Amino acid sequence: MRRFVFALIFAGLPLAAQTVDLTKPPVSKDPRPYKLPPVTETKLPNGLTVMLAEDGRLPLVTSQLIFLAGNKRDPKEIPGLAASVAAMLMQGTNTRTYQQIAQELDNLGGTLTAATGADSLFMDSSVLSENALKMLALMSDIGRNAAFPQNELDLHKQNRKQQLLVQHSQPGYVANEEYRKLIFGDTPYAHVGPTADAIDKLDRKALADFRDTFLVPNNAYLIIVGKLPARADLMKVITIEFGSWQQKAVPAYTAPKPPESKRQLVIVDRPGSVQADMRLGKVTVAMSDPLYFPESVGSIIEGGGPSSRLFLDIREKRGYAYDVHTEPSALADAGNFATVTQVRNDVAADALQGILEHLDRMAKEPVAKEELSDAKSYANGVFLLGMEPQGGLANRLAQIKVMNLPKNYLETYTTKINSVEPDQIESMAKKFMATDNDTIVVVGDTSKIQKSLEKIGTFQVVQPEGAKPTQ
Amino acid sequence: MRKPARIALALGAAASLAFAAGESDFHIPFEKYKLQNGLRVVLSRDTAVPVIAVYLIYDVGARAEEKGRTGFAHLFEHMMFEGSANLKKGDHFHYVQANGGELNGSTHPDYTDYFETMPSNKLGLALWLESDRMRSLAITPENLKDQQEAVKQERRLRFDNEAYNTAIIDKWPALVFGNFQSSHSLIGSFEDLEAASVDDVAKFFKTYYAPNNAVLVIAGDFDSSDAKKLVEQYFGNIPSQPQPVRPDMTEPARTQGKTETVADQHARVPGVVIGWPAPKRHTDEWYALGMLDAVLTSGESSRMQLDLVKGKQTVIQFDVGLGWPFAGFNDFKDPGEYAAFLLYKPNYKPQQIVDEVQEEIDRIAKDGVDDKELSRVKAVMRFQKVSGLQSSLARARLVGQYELLDGKPEMMDQDFTNLFKVTSPEIQAVAKKYLMASRRDVLMIQPAPPTPAPKPAPAKEENK
Repeated sequence: MRRFVFALIFAGLPLAAQTVDLTKPPVSKDPRPYKLPPVTETKLPNGLTVMLAEDGRLPLVTSQLIFLAGNKRDPKEIPGLAASVAAMLMQGTNTRTYQQIAQELDNLGGTLTAATGADSLFMDSSVLSENALKMLALMSDIGRNAAFPQNELDLHKQNRKQQLLVQHSQPGYVANEEYRKLIFGDTPYAHVGPTADAIDKLDRKALADFRDTFLVPNNAYLIIVGKLPARADLMKVITIEFGSWQQKAVPAYTAPKPPESKRQLVIVDRPGSVQADMRLGKVTVAMSDPLYFPESVGSIIEGGGPSSRLFLDIREKRGYAYDVHTEPSALADAGNFATVTQVRNDVAADALQGILEHLDRMAKEPVAKEELSDAKSYANGVFLLGMEPQGGLANRLAQIKVMNLPKNYLETYTTKINSVEPDQIESMAKKFMATDNDTIVVVGDTSKIQKSLEKIGTFQVVQPEGAKPTQ
Repeated sequence: MRKPARIALALGAAASLAFAAGESDFHIPFEKYKLQNGLRVVLSRDTAVPVIAVYLIYDVGARAEEKGRTGFAHLFEHMMFEGSANLKKGDHFHYVQANGGELNGSTHPDYTDYFETMPSNKLGLALWLESDRMRSLAITPENLKDQQEAVKQERRLRFDNEAYNTAIIDKWPALVFGNFQSSHSLIGSFEDLEAASVDDVAKFFKTYYAPNNAVLVIAGDFDSSDAKKLVEQYFGNIPSQPQPVRPDMTEPARTQGKTETVADQHARVPGVVIGWPAPKRHTDEWYALGMLDAVLTSGESSRMQLDLVKGKQTVIQFDVGLGWPFAGFNDFKDPGEYAAFLLYKPNYKPQQIVDEVQEEIDRIAKDGVDDKELSRVKAVMRFQKVSGLQSSLARARLVGQYELLDGKPEMMDQDFTNLFKVTSPEIQAVAKKYLMASRRDVLMIQPAPPTPAPKPAPAKEENK
């Protein structure tokens, strides 16, 4: 209302007479609406879903080939198999060596990577528009005809073991690895990476079995965004490259129910640590759950950025940490809500106590009106900012498919954020933020932090996975 | 030369990035001018998504620090978020976030920058925020104390508690540079950070954070005449200051490289940094080294990837560049070092890795690079250029950095053209002149067992 009146007054003034009050923030105009580029969705007879969106600003095309075949499909005895399949796709096909793939890719002027998340295996490419069709041909070969050469697999295993050592030297990785194991227990979201033993077990047969089971067109989505070739040419190439791909039934997947959340306190010992890396939280809901929106908005208020409650108190007021934030991480079948910080050893217990109090408060008191509207603006602004790079739109289209979201998810995102009410946040916080059944993982030097942490509870001390000799 | 934004507007079409089909004929459109007080302004319009980036880059970096004040430029960067005449502590963060934006600042060897990315109707707000702190930063003992603690915490987090990073930030510059300006730790020591006073902050602010020592860039969805009016209103009456003089960066002459080994208690896999003093910015040799670097490291089929990771299978991963690790090819002033950081398999000796990298370079020096490989490298570079410009912030950074460092945003195109002109004999010549074993600096980072638990912590950690 007020904004409208201001706008009218200014409109009546000659431009030159405008002066600005330097002591106050300016009143802004209404936002310019943003319209998503139209997305065309078709399905080939073999079940491959194709999504196309035109974004002609730059001579660039982003293409993604997404399979519903993430880490959760790893066999129990080989955690990390899906990720190794992804890495090995690039290392040679029936007709191309790694060197040929690498040189061809560079000649096109583009990048192509393959990796996994918990729910999907994704090939992600970006290339100069003039070579978009050739990139599709390369993606098709790599996605369909990976040969997993023995020499490349041997090298992959050696290097992956070394990289795992590097990851285990990073306290943040160790904290996340332990935390996921504790909250997801025996269920497939429990692991974030391989073990050294699992890397030893990798062989060509395991990789090929995974490929033949999951990398099939009826389990895949091809998403193409950018300055696209003429539609007819594009569809023709898609049909040539992907049309002859045989469909095949994919084994059904029923997500096991994650364990009940319970209070678990663990220190992962890291002698020599000059600070304590903490990750605490619990299992929550999938991204398709209606509670995901209150969770997202509540997380912004609590720990989403530099004007959040945790940042203002734990960092700015008390000076305990450089970084303190919350992570609402929603996957296809479940999610988790985590709070993450790294604090110096002598204030580890005080910082943790402070964080627990903040989280519990959210479950007891409704959030203030202004806090809520600020958080909504932030969520909506970040959503818009993410639309500038082509990958931003492509990733979100992929997310709709992988996370099983409604077709109009992107169009309705802002409306759904705006409709979150304080009581929804409070009841979400009772479930997801109240800390009585939180798992708390602290990675640090036990000799420096264990005693003071006693005031929170009795922590069990464990050795990190990577501490075991691997050779 | 470039399509003015106004024409696009008059036609009712969205402004868009200009490019032609030619080999490297790709431009970010921009318009630049200067305010009375010396503030340089660059506007770059693209209306595809209704967002804007406001980017302020100041001509002072960590290499301007004085002895006894290592880490001060970065500490000062933190102070910029603590409030100003019309903004209480925390307000800057709050206004940006509550209006749907993101922000940050970062300190580099030769500049310090700040940005807000926001929905485009918030341009005025972002300019108000940046102008208020340029005009009237709140310099108080409380704010300074808080940020000294925050920076020490940042040092623990990003360096002292991580593998490799302490060696890289503290030891590498000391090994390769002889002049204090370049050789000191850019994050600073706890002692120096604590020694900083309110007077230091006030002096630094007055000297370096003046409009005549900065470039303001607005990129994204805006109306050019509105933007100019807002810039004048918010920044026009901030007084200019005497132009600061860049400290003498001259490096003492040296003919021999140096080698050092450090034990790293957090490292589990050995690493080695190898470097050589680099030619001056924008010289023919600098371009030639840029192309040599691309041959060695760019894309999937680079020589380091195909020969060392895949062929000899000794190196696990590598990170290489002119200006590594604090800068990129084109965002620092002289002097610079060309450096490679490699992790390798523990069953090899660091000297073997150094020798293998040297062999790669010597082979280029001897045999040159054929046209096929050069054209492949150029395709990768062209892709990287286009791909790196997708967000308003990325475009703002690029034009802002070129304006600050060279006074010419158009140098970004010129650099690209000059890189593409480099020939194989030029690459060979620069390898022979600059990248020889005798000029080579080496830092070997070896995994070490952690300090035994009962021993008291190192003095540095318990500084109070």
